[in-house]
Amino acid sequence: MIAATAPTGVLAASYARDRIALIAFWLLLVLLFAALAAPWLAPQNPYDLAQLDILDAKLAPGTQSSAGLTYWLGTDDQGRDMLSAILYGLRISVGVGIASTALALALGLTAGMIAARAGGWIDGLIMRIVDLQLSFPAILVALILLALTGQGIDRIILALVVVQWAYYARTVRAAALVELRKEYVEAAVCMGVSEARILLSHVLPNVLPPVMVVATVQIAQAIALEATLSFLGLGLPITEPSLGLLIANGYAHLLSGKYWISFFPGLALLATIVAINLVGDRLRDLLNPRLG
Amino acid sequence: MGYACAMKSATLIQASRLLLCALIAVTAVQAHAAELRIGLSGEVTSLDPQFLAAQPNLTVARHIFESLTDVDPQTRLIPGLAERWRAIDATTWEFNLRRGVKFHDGSPFTAEDAAFSLARPLSIKGSPGGFAAYVRAIASTTVVDTHTLRVKTKYPYGALPEDLNSILIVSKKHALNAGPEDFDSGRALVGTGPYKYLRYQRGDRLELTRHEQWWGKAPAWDKVTLRIVPADPSRTAALLAGELDAIEHVPSADIKNVNKNNKLNVTQTTSWRTILLHLDQYRTQPPGVSDLNGKPLAANPFMDLRVRRAISKAINRTAIAERVMEGLAVPAANIVSPGVFGYNSALKAEPYDAEGAKRLLAEAGYPHGFRVTLAGPNNRYINDEQVLQTVAQLLTRVGIQTRVEAAPMSAFLGRVRKEETSFALLGWGSFAADLSLRSLVAAPNADKGYGAWNWGRYANPKVEALMEQALGSVDRTKREALAREAGTLAMQDLAFIPLHHQVVSWAMRANLNYVPRTDEFTFAHHFTPR
Repeated sequence: MIAATAPTGVLAASYARDRIALIAFWLLLVLLFAALAAPWLAPQNPYDLAQLDILDAKLAPGTQSSAGLTYWLGTDDQGRDMLSAILYGLRISVGVGIASTALALALGLTAGMIAARAGGWIDGLIMRIVDLQLSFPAILVALILLALTGQGIDRIILALVVVQWAYYARTVRAAALVELRKEYVEAAVCMGVSEARILLSHVLPNVLPPVMVVATVQIAQAIALEATLSFLGLGLPITEPSLGLLIANGYAHLLSGKYWISFFPGLALLATIVAINLVGDRLRDLLNPRLG
Repeated sequence: MGYACAMKSATLIQASRLLLCALIAVTAVQAHAAELRIGLSGEVTSLDPQFLAAQPNLTVARHIFESLTDVDPQTRLIPGLAERWRAIDATTWEFNLRRGVKFHDGSPFTAEDAAFSLARPLSIKGSPGGFAAYVRAIASTTVVDTHTLRVKTKYPYGALPEDLNSILIVSKKHALNAGPEDFDSGRALVGTGPYKYLRYQRGDRLELTRHEQWWGKAPAWDKVTLRIVPADPSRTAALLAGELDAIEHVPSADIKNVNKNNKLNVTQTTSWRTILLHLDQYRTQPPGVSDLNGKPLAANPFMDLRVRRAISKAINRTAIAERVMEGLAVPAANIVSPGVFGYNSALKAEPYDAEGAKRLLAEAGYPHGFRVTLAGPNNRYINDEQVLQTVAQLLTRVGIQTRVEAAPMSAFLGRVRKEETSFALLGWGSFAADLSLRSLVAAPNADKGYGAWNWGRYANPKVEALMEQALGSVDRTKREALAREAGTLAMQDLAFIPLHHQVVSWAMRANLNYVPRTDEFTFAHHFTPR
């Protein structure tokens, strides 16, 4: 476990040795900032229907509105400023990605640790549920859940948690089983350290690095899945579009040459997912002892 | 590695050979037989013509089957398998059937088949239905001779010829004891129509060949392939790429380009389909309706005519028709489209008047507005989801803060049936104003078959009395006057908010022609070479 013991500074320095990963890291920072600061950066609140004007619909990038606002990336079929819609959409996509991953991580971590420590039938039960869960395609499970629960940001996060927790549970259990057999755990047991303390202060920190790598990649997965569900019209309400929904809105206009309605949100989605994946890959290279 | 390469090249050679064969075959077919490939927009759930009364199903079914009464492109009744019909008395209709009509298996069409077909819709198990409404008025049928059928109605009923247009005539021999699965397999798919079943791939295509013994004018195409292409951009793309010869429902986003393309021909007309908004008028606390802080209102605002008028005034129908629908809509004020039986040309679409809407809201006690949730489908009508959003935008501007919940039609209908919606978008097409009123405006009554689509449960005894008089008249002139009066009354009271009548369009190769149909149906046998 080089990584777990390496100081943060060393980690940062070795991360920066890969130029592409470094660019991806800065791109990700910029995107995260844009998402967080959307209400202050965006020229228009695209979710306030009173600010939209149907007479400004489908304007090309660079057109000025009657009110004097310039639509740098054009408008969609409701007269929404695409730049504002993308900033707000990014906020939803990234927010949903992080929230669902954090919740799934917490759930998966708990389940995985319990399975590893308890063993026996509890381990069997949890891992069979995990197997069952992983045997269904994520998109199918999410589609069924959303069809049952209806639309809304909370429903979509719930669906993504249900879809994702099993990955963490499996990774955590595998890592924890390895750790539990190590001498330092035996030593701690001999010294009479309580079980909770062994798990939380000794095993958990050593389990985290591989899980964090899975989590980074899973955020990108969650964002892509949310975009897919929104594209299919099952995600968020149409009046509060995320990136997937923006792409879906423009899809019908592709043949008529109004490329900007789909293209720019697509570009934003692509940049986000690629940046997260590149950062995640680099972290895996650094933190995974098997590759390192 | 070497093995994989060898495999690859072997497959490649094989594939090119196949491709070559396919190309030769295609050229051969094109040289000898006229084929027409049409892209349809709706998913077909069953080939059984009496399983579900949905337009996509009926579009394919009407190639194979026919009905006693037919309608022309303007929805006026014309003879079908019945050459003539008349009301003998107030409750008896007599149909004189066409002679010399042959089923696809060569057997003759008789009054027995007609009587059997009229009785069948009520006997299909597990049918989601829709056809029962058309045969509900029938008390009994009598086969007078092989080509005369008498239909006795339970009460005086003038709309029977219209209703029977929806009942397709199946072969008694093949359909007796046959379920929808026998139709999907092609076994029971024996009709009198211009085309015969050849092959069917669910969700993809239905292939048909010409019925050489058809009684009508022989269609120009020996073979017809009906491709199911629900995705709008794909349908246009397939036409542009030459994979299809014609498509129905040209997407509004593409209509301008398709019109400009001189390799293509476009025909269009105002459809019978009226897009409207139903408003909850029966619950004191309709779901999704609240004050601006999310607290329940003291009363249901939709029950106040001033609020309904404010909503109607707040909607800019011209902007929707021009901007959202790209010209594929006509602003509506009537329950039926222009030219349809019972249309009142004196009614004019409500002009956009945001200030007037705000005044009416203030008068009704909502000076700052309230909150509503507008529900509707996102895959059924032309640009349905965009229309929902635009309505929300326009209502929000006058103070009615509107949230949109759009879902695929099946999911949306499920929510409507569970009464979870209070403000919802629906599209409705019909041959006559009184028939539309019966479904959309009459107070729901399962025994009478009234109000099956009156989601807001609007009830107005005066409208209903006029409608019943209209439906009970076998004299068509009298009936139309009554239907028009009933429809006008319902619209003046805003039983629902009419938005627009859809414009339906077809695009095809420049050397083809199609007479646009008000009822939106796409029939291969009506496509002609130019």
